[in-house]
Amino acid sequence: MNIDTRNDPFILRRYFTLAVKNLRRRPVRTGLTVAGVALAVTVAVSLGGFMLGYRGAIDKSIDMLGFQVMIMAKGCPYEAATMMLKGGTGLLYLPADVYEKVKSDASIASITPIFVGVAQKQGSGIREDQSETNFLIVSGIEVASYQVMKPWVAFKKGPGYADGRWFSPGARNEVVLGFEAAEYEQRKVGDSFYASITPAGQPNPVQHEFKVVGVLERSGTQDDGTVFLPIDLAREFFGRPNQLTILGIRLKEFNAIKMRQFETRWLSLPEVQVVGLQQVKNTLVSLVATAQTMIAAVAVIAIIVAFIGVINTILMSVYERTSEIGIMKALGARRGSIFQLIWLETVMICLAGALAGSLLAVVGSGVVERLIKAMADFGVSGSIVAITPAVIGYAVLGAVILGFFAGLYPAWRASSMRPVEAINKGA
Amino acid sequence: MNGIVIEAHRLKRYYQRGSETVKALDGVDICIRQGEIVSILGPSGSGKTTLINLLSCLDAPTEGTLTVAGKPVAGLSEDELVEVRRGVLGFVFQQFSLLPTLTVTENVELPLMFLGLRVNPQRTREILAAVGLSDRASHLPQELSGGQMQRVAIARALMAGPKILVADEPTGNLDKATGESIIALFKRLAAEEGLAVILTTHNTAFGAAADRAITLEDGRIVKEEVLKPPSIASLTPATMTGVSVQVDQCNE
Repeated sequence: MNIDTRNDPFILRRYFTLAVKNLRRRPVRTGLTVAGVALAVTVAVSLGGFMLGYRGAIDKSIDMLGFQVMIMAKGCPYEAATMMLKGGTGLLYLPADVYEKVKSDASIASITPIFVGVAQKQGSGIREDQSETNFLIVSGIEVASYQVMKPWVAFKKGPGYADGRWFSPGARNEVVLGFEAAEYEQRKVGDSFYASITPAGQPNPVQHEFKVVGVLERSGTQDDGTVFLPIDLAREFFGRPNQLTILGIRLKEFNAIKMRQFETRWLSLPEVQVVGLQQVKNTLVSLVATAQTMIAAVAVIAIIVAFIGVINTILMSVYERTSEIGIMKALGARRGSIFQLIWLETVMICLAGALAGSLLAVVGSGVVERLIKAMADFGVSGSIVAITPAVIGYAVLGAVILGFFAGLYPAWRASSMRPVEAINKGA
Repeated sequence: MNGIVIEAHRLKRYYQRGSETVKALDGVDICIRQGEIVSILGPSGSGKTTLINLLSCLDAPTEGTLTVAGKPVAGLSEDELVEVRRGVLGFVFQQFSLLPTLTVTENVELPLMFLGLRVNPQRTREILAAVGLSDRASHLPQELSGGQMQRVAIARALMAGPKILVADEPTGNLDKATGESIIALFKRLAAEEGLAVILTTHNTAFGAAADRAITLEDGRIVKEEVLKPPSIASLTPATMTGVSVQVDQCNE
């Protein structure tokens, strides 16, 4: 009966097996502890996904604007940011001659004027509901400069959308619909489209009938929900023939210094403010900073509760197995062996919780997104929760680190037991 | 190897209980040889368990000298005592102390995990066969009788090839027939493997089956009987020359 005196290269697997069996001894308690960790991880992953997704959505929305700087009427920067991305109510306008003044600036690579107005769409489409979507954003654009600014804009193809195009010169009844605007109203190329527009200073709206001449491909930006008109026509219908909403500008050379120089040159105009994209991004991020802080606080509390829960579970387990630990030490287990076993059990609980929590976060991300969007309007289109492998990776790593620290005390306590006392205590 | 596996002089173990000093063991001299079965007898509280805890390096003496497998252990820390125990001492406890979630085979192989050694399935099978549990290898402890559990504990104690087997009341929870079979197994292991067996028991019949019986009272040896001379046949030729010398030394 010879002993194999060679070291076992797979010794960790045996510790792993023993740890799993120990955890399965109390399945309800282990399950509840794992659930606690999973809950904390779900909150943390959702928060991480929200932070990442929201920033990504902001970046995408702003990048898809096509310009780096905009000139607009003076007002609240929050409103400016929202207006850029979603349109909005209480729009401010700047004189149209600002366009003529600014476009001669030598540092400008391209510039496009945009007029934004809000129309009513009651009776305009097939939908008769009284939902909050009774308003639509109308953008008056100058097609040539708009295309230079957004070269990626394309018309939807396929049956019912063939021959999509921009407006004919001089046409007074042609509109181009963004993807979602067309989908919602179920309009195709050649269909009629109705909009009620209240001209500035007039008490009653005027209903207009348009022909849809093109539907844009989905861009994931505010353009998807927009109705496009020729800029002069839009200004006329809204009763603001000499006004603009935004001047979108791309500079030949864009950096902080050039931006500052450009801003300084045109801030001298009394009616306008120059807004850089970074400023808009910062503004939008700050819009949700409070919400993110609150969610982060919940996540921290959940993590602390889970941390205490894990420690409590493992301590109880150690207490229940005092005699066994004494026996293991009598059988030759070093302090490190016991520490390793208990620590492994703790990390396994946290790892299982991290995986379950990540899965839950991924599966429930749609629900989380709807909840977050229901709480507030975040001013961006598209998904604002992006649970990436990196987010999950960090969450799992965090849970393992949590397990590492949670397991320290119980493992130290177990490994420090004197075998005689442990055996007697458990007997 | 000179045949002596444990040697203790003036071994004391005192405990402090409040202001009172409890003399659990008060100056014991003992010497145990390879292949010898020594039973430690005495009433409850006489110091039996304290003595075997010291001899098996589970506890440290308050005073005295103790050598286990050639290593002086008095004054060693817990971590140092573990190193002495590893691979040298096997334990059998009265309560069996099997891990309930592990099968018989896994319980028996447990010491190898702590020693970091590979499992030799053939050895596991042979040891289980030696204790008559070949057909219970995949059973959980809860599926075994008391006698079977004690046999598993013995198999586990033997798995790492110890020089000394320490058994605290190994027959305490067993019926007479099972107890006798356990004692018979110890005798066979001592004779065939040269294993030194130290066992405590209340049962004078089982105690009388040993080579030597030591009776404790109030932490002192009050009687020591040689029930059977050391079996020279069980000793290897290499150790035979030292036996007479060591016997003399033990008798000093």
